[in-house]
Amino acid sequence: MALTLSKGQNLSLTKTDPGLNNVLIGLGWDPRVTDGSEFDLDASVFLLGDNGKVRSSADFIFYNQMKSACGSVEHTGDNRTGEGEGDDEQLKVDLSKVPADVTKIAITVTIHDAQPRGQSFGQVDNAFIRIVNDATGAEVVRYDLSEDYSTESAMIFADLYRHNGEWKFKAVGQGYAGGLKAMCDQYGIAI
Amino acid sequence: MAVSLSKGGNVSLSKEAPGLTAVVVGLGWDARVTDGKDFDLDASVFITGEDGKVRSDADFVFYNNKTGADGAVEHQGDNRTGEGDGDDEQVKIDLSKVPADVKKLVFAVTIHEADDRGQNFGQVSNAFMRVINQAGEAELARYDLSEDYSTETALVFGELYRHGDEWKFKAVGAGFAGGLNALAASHGVNMG
Repeated sequence: MALTLSKGQNLSLTKTDPGLNNVLIGLGWDPRVTDGSEFDLDASVFLLGDNGKVRSSADFIFYNQMKSACGSVEHTGDNRTGEGEGDDEQLKVDLSKVPADVTKIAITVTIHDAQPRGQSFGQVDNAFIRIVNDATGAEVVRYDLSEDYSTESAMIFADLYRHNGEWKFKAVGQGYAGGLKAMCDQYGIAI
Repeated sequence: MAVSLSKGGNVSLSKEAPGLTAVVVGLGWDARVTDGKDFDLDASVFITGEDGKVRSDADFVFYNNKTGADGAVEHQGDNRTGEGDGDDEQVKIDLSKVPADVKKLVFAVTIHEADDRGQNFGQVSNAFMRVINQAGEAELARYDLSEDYSTETALVFGELYRHGDEWKFKAVGAGFAGGLNALAASHGVNMG
C-alpha cells in the first residue's frame, strides 16, 4: 500500500521499493467547475547538481522540451484542463540513466498564464503528486497538496534526490508568487 | 580525536579528548529560497541539577538570556534566517567553569513560530546540529535535521553531563511535537 507524506516529510524509495528503477511521476488536479478560464497546470522537472542549479538549460524538461539530453527523463505530454481521472500529466524517469552529477530532480508545477488569468494554487482542487513503479504499476508514495496556497503560481511539489547511495523522495510544497520565472531564476535557467 | 555518535550513544569526553575543556554546539541551516516566512531555528540550553530540572528560570539559556551557569555557557546570538555558511547559531560551553551543582546541560533546537508558520525541519534545507571540541574543532556528534527529523519542530539534540569525575556527551535525538513550550516545561522552566 502506498504511503502518503505530509509537507516536509521524506521517504527512501530504495528501501520502500528496492526494485524501483523506472519511475513514473504522476500529477493530477480537478478541472475547474466554476466559470472562468481553465486551470492549466504544467508539470516540469529540473535536473540539479550539488549546487542546486541546472548544469545547462537542457536540464529543464517541460512541455516544449520533452526529453532530457541524457534520456533519463521524459515528459509524456501536456494536459490543459485537468479533465479525466487519475494523472493529468506524467513524467518518466529512468534512475539508472540519471547522470552521476545530478543529485536532485526537482518536480515542479506551474499554472499556465496564472497572472493574466488571476489564478493561484489556492483555487485549484485536489492537486496531487504520486510516484509509481512503472514496471509493476504499484504506487510507491503520494503527496496531496491540501494546504492553502493563496498566492503561489509556481510550486516545487517534490524532490527526488540522492542521499547516501539511495534515492529519496521529499514532499516539498513550497513555491513562488512570481511564477515560472521566479522558479527558473532560482535554479539558474534564463528565460 | 573525533567520535561520531549515533542516537543514544555516549562518549566520555574526558577519555576521548583528554584535556577537553570547552565545546561548541553549532546549529546550521540554509536560508529559505522560496516565498514565505523565513525559517528561524533557535538553539537553546537547559542547565539542570541532580533532579533533571533547572535550578531557576535563569538556567534556560536562549536568544533572550544569552549567558548562564556563572558565565560557563554563552549563546553567541540569534540568527533569524540561516543566512551565511557553516554554523548559524553557536553556544559555547567552558566545562571548567560549570558550577558543581550543575549535573547536566541539555541542548535543544526549535523552530520559531513553527505552528503559526506551518513549518517543520523537513522543509528546511541542510539543517543540522553538531557538537565540536572548541580546541581543534573536531566534531563529536551531528544530526541531520532535514533528513532524519523531518516532521519535528523541536529536538533534544544531546546532553553534556557529569559521570563521576568525567564529562560525557550523549546523543539524544528526541523530537518534541509541542515545540519550545513543551520542551521548557519538561525541564522545569516556567514560560509564564
